[in-house]
Amino acid sequence: MKIILILLKSPKFLTGIVILSIIFAITFLTPLVNDNSPTEMVTCSFQAPDSKHILGSDNFGRDVMIQLALGTQTSLYVGIIAGMVATLIGLFIGLYSGYLGGLIDNILTMLTNLFIVIPPFIILILISVSVDSRSSTLTALIIGFTSWPWTARAVRAQTSSLRNRDHINIAKLSGAGTFRIIIFEILPYIASYAVMAFILQTASGILAEAAISMLGLGPYNTISLGIMLNWAIVFEAPAAGAWWAFIPTAMIISAITFSLFYINSGMDEIFNPKIRS
Amino acid sequence: MLLDVKKLKTYYKLRDNTKIHAVDNISFQLSRGEILGIAGESGCGKSTLALSLMFYYFPPLFFDSGEIFINNQKIVFSKRGEIQKNILGNKIAYIPQAAMNALNPTQKVKNFILDIFKEHKPHIKKKEVLQFAASRFSELNLPERVLNSYPNELSGGMRQRTIIGISTILDPDILIADEPTSALDVTSQKKVVKMLKSLLDKNFVKGIIFITHELTLLANITHNIMVMYAGQIMEYGKTNDVIFHGIHPYTKALMGSIIVAEKEMKKRQLTFLPGAPPDLKNEIKGCRFAERCSFVKNECRFNQIEEKIHTSHMYRCLRPLTDLKD
Amino acid sequence: MTPLKRYFINKALWYCLTLLIAVMLNFFLPRMIKGNPVEAMMAELNTGMMDSDSKKKLYETFNKEFGLDKPLITQFFIYTGNLLHGDLGTSFGMYPKKVERIIAGAIPWTIALQLPAILLGWLLGNALGAIVAYRKGILDKVFFPVSLFIHSIPFFALSIILLYLLAVELSWFPVGGGYAYELIPSLNFRFISSVIYHYWLPFLSIFIVLIGGQAIGMRSMAIYELKEDYVLYSKLMGVKDRKIISYVFKNGMLPQITGLSLSIGVMVAGALITEIVFNYPGIGSLLFKAIRQLDYPLISGCTLLITCSVIAANFCIDMLYGLLDPRIKAAQLEEAS
Repeated sequence: MKIILILLKSPKFLTGIVILSIIFAITFLTPLVNDNSPTEMVTCSFQAPDSKHILGSDNFGRDVMIQLALGTQTSLYVGIIAGMVATLIGLFIGLYSGYLGGLIDNILTMLTNLFIVIPPFIILILISVSVDSRSSTLTALIIGFTSWPWTARAVRAQTSSLRNRDHINIAKLSGAGTFRIIIFEILPYIASYAVMAFILQTASGILAEAAISMLGLGPYNTISLGIMLNWAIVFEAPAAGAWWAFIPTAMIISAITFSLFYINSGMDEIFNPKIRS
Repeated sequence: MLLDVKKLKTYYKLRDNTKIHAVDNISFQLSRGEILGIAGESGCGKSTLALSLMFYYFPPLFFDSGEIFINNQKIVFSKRGEIQKNILGNKIAYIPQAAMNALNPTQKVKNFILDIFKEHKPHIKKKEVLQFAASRFSELNLPERVLNSYPNELSGGMRQRTIIGISTILDPDILIADEPTSALDVTSQKKVVKMLKSLLDKNFVKGIIFITHELTLLANITHNIMVMYAGQIMEYGKTNDVIFHGIHPYTKALMGSIIVAEKEMKKRQLTFLPGAPPDLKNEIKGCRFAERCSFVKNECRFNQIEEKIHTSHMYRCLRPLTDLKD
Repeated sequence: MTPLKRYFINKALWYCLTLLIAVMLNFFLPRMIKGNPVEAMMAELNTGMMDSDSKKKLYETFNKEFGLDKPLITQFFIYTGNLLHGDLGTSFGMYPKKVERIIAGAIPWTIALQLPAILLGWLLGNALGAIVAYRKGILDKVFFPVSLFIHSIPFFALSIILLYLLAVELSWFPVGGGYAYELIPSLNFRFISSVIYHYWLPFLSIFIVLIGGQAIGMRSMAIYELKEDYVLYSKLMGVKDRKIISYVFKNGMLPQITGLSLSIGVMVAGALITEIVFNYPGIGSLLFKAIRQLDYPLISGCTLLITCSVIAANFCIDMLYGLLDPRIKAAQLEEAS
């Protein structure tokens, strides 16, 4: 609890949380007041915003505001799930690789480097193209499974520097197994780091979803922010001057990632002794 | 007089604009051929004094008042460029604490030396600089390969001695060594001390200020000692006097708290100094050592404590000499 | 063998391995999930566009080309064999054009756009970050959130916004394409100036986002470096500020170069999407079209090309790093012992 109070004093952290909260509010409150369906044609195509439809309509004449709200929900969902998956995998690999060292470390590091150099985005495309039906969860899982290397690398670096600390040696002497040592002796030290990694992974998960959906390889039969952008391009919304169909979407993606980065930066200033001024 | 410091006051300014007078009214002198030791516990202001003497007035360190004379010439702080070119490294040089990290990890030692010469003596050609560096280093018993190495290729002790070599390469008049031995093993310590002495003997430097909290070193190498506490000088005199016949209560506590295998020390008991130095954020009336002093009297907490001189041995205490002798 | 040579050879071997695995992934991944993607896509193309005779012919052609009736491993060797001849297969959507010719037409556009944008954006971003870190003050307080925001905007979002603002609303720039569509590519001034005119927006989208990201990273590095002991010591030895900045810059750049190798994959992906937004005739738009048409060979060809380029880029960056950082030699000595 004390930690959260300290964090709230950081202007960067606070700003990020505030922005995120506003977005959450818009996302979840809108469907309560707006009863349009995102897939039903309710008015003419590319209608400018007016009192009935705050953000106008897309090319099919569907209400953009409700699309935005529901789309944000999907994107957030995908981002968070992808973030969790990526962080867990990254933690697991990073911890074992950093703690055990030796051959396992070499193998895991090679694996990690492999997945860094081979663009995860490409693997994402390859998998998404071949899968028959993509749900949001599946997309999230695929993103999570391809974006863990960054966290793994960072966690490994931290763990290997902790490896030789005294309390670890004491635990070893008292006969604790590898798993116990990792969970009880090492994890607490990098906990703050792991949380920051999770935030960054979520941010990149949201961006990845937007990118893959924009390419047309996103979840089927769902609305997400990336899919909205895909429609905007395919149906030439910019050329038609229908800014409401894509600019709010782009802005919300940016605002979410910005607030996540800012939260992370605020946490970094507090937890990272190297840049504390 | 090599170095003459008169009533130097410098302070740190914190974010909320409070001032911490880390160097409070310090006056002392350094003569040719002298090694002056500055002793005191961590946080007493020794390193701040060193930086102040090096004119390193970058935020949050600021100059308040006082005068510094080098070779009887007054140094004016406002001329930053002048100081950079003619004073730093030239007349007065500094060996930083934990000197092992003081070298740029991606630069060969010789290139750094070239940069220094380019700044201070640009007319000397590159080849001559390198030749000079090689001969100087060999005179100081540093192997020749050091010049061509990167810092991480040298051991800790070697790095420390390399830094000493670099700091004195322009033959500065005054050398300030800030805890030059604290991170080293005993053998390396000896080498460093030997090196410093030989610098004086060969006239590469003319006076050394040796800052340390290791009192055993002080006894062996210094001519005079200055004991600092909470930004002020508590005692200042010849080494033997200060160590074996210390007057100020703090000095006595300090010297009594170490185990030294000297004849005179056998009979003494170890003293224990409770408490911690005062927080300099607050304005302190009276003696700064009052809270921890075993000779304290009520007046000590309120009056301005003046310096007293007793046969070229200075101490800052209210109590008369007779009270303080044990 | 000097440590440096050993470093190079180690890296080269490793990258060859990576390349091999990339090719394998490119081939096996889709097949393992979907089985026979060619068949499946053929089935999806079954929308009555062609008569059954042509369909049969198409099917036979692909069967022969990909060896669909043979075991998977054999198919893989056929695939790599073709690769080594520069044969990437025949496109579905643009039948009977060969994939490698289609790609070859798009590559120059992509390289012309991405290479300068990424390099310049990276260099200028880092320089900006170092300067801001050194100067501090108000510039820093304003700079950080602004560039963080720019960095948070995904490439494609910025592209769409720029496209709308500068092309549609203000008409300063053309709405898309690589050149005015009524022109035929030729080496005359009109064509070239049209190309340049169309070049700016996509270039700016990539460039601006990159500067934002790099500046932030470099600023953190520089702040960290400025606290290091050698900065203090150099100052106290009277070395000029300008010289010290060059020390800090050089030391701060090294991790940035590592960062570049880590993120070049992301940068390329983002730049490709930018191409899509602007309908720029590069690999990005090609991939987009291929996905929409489910043109499997073309998709596979594009992904392979992108992967190999990123791997090659990583290799070059690693080499560069090895040359610049003297600590590599020390690390090598450590590893060897």
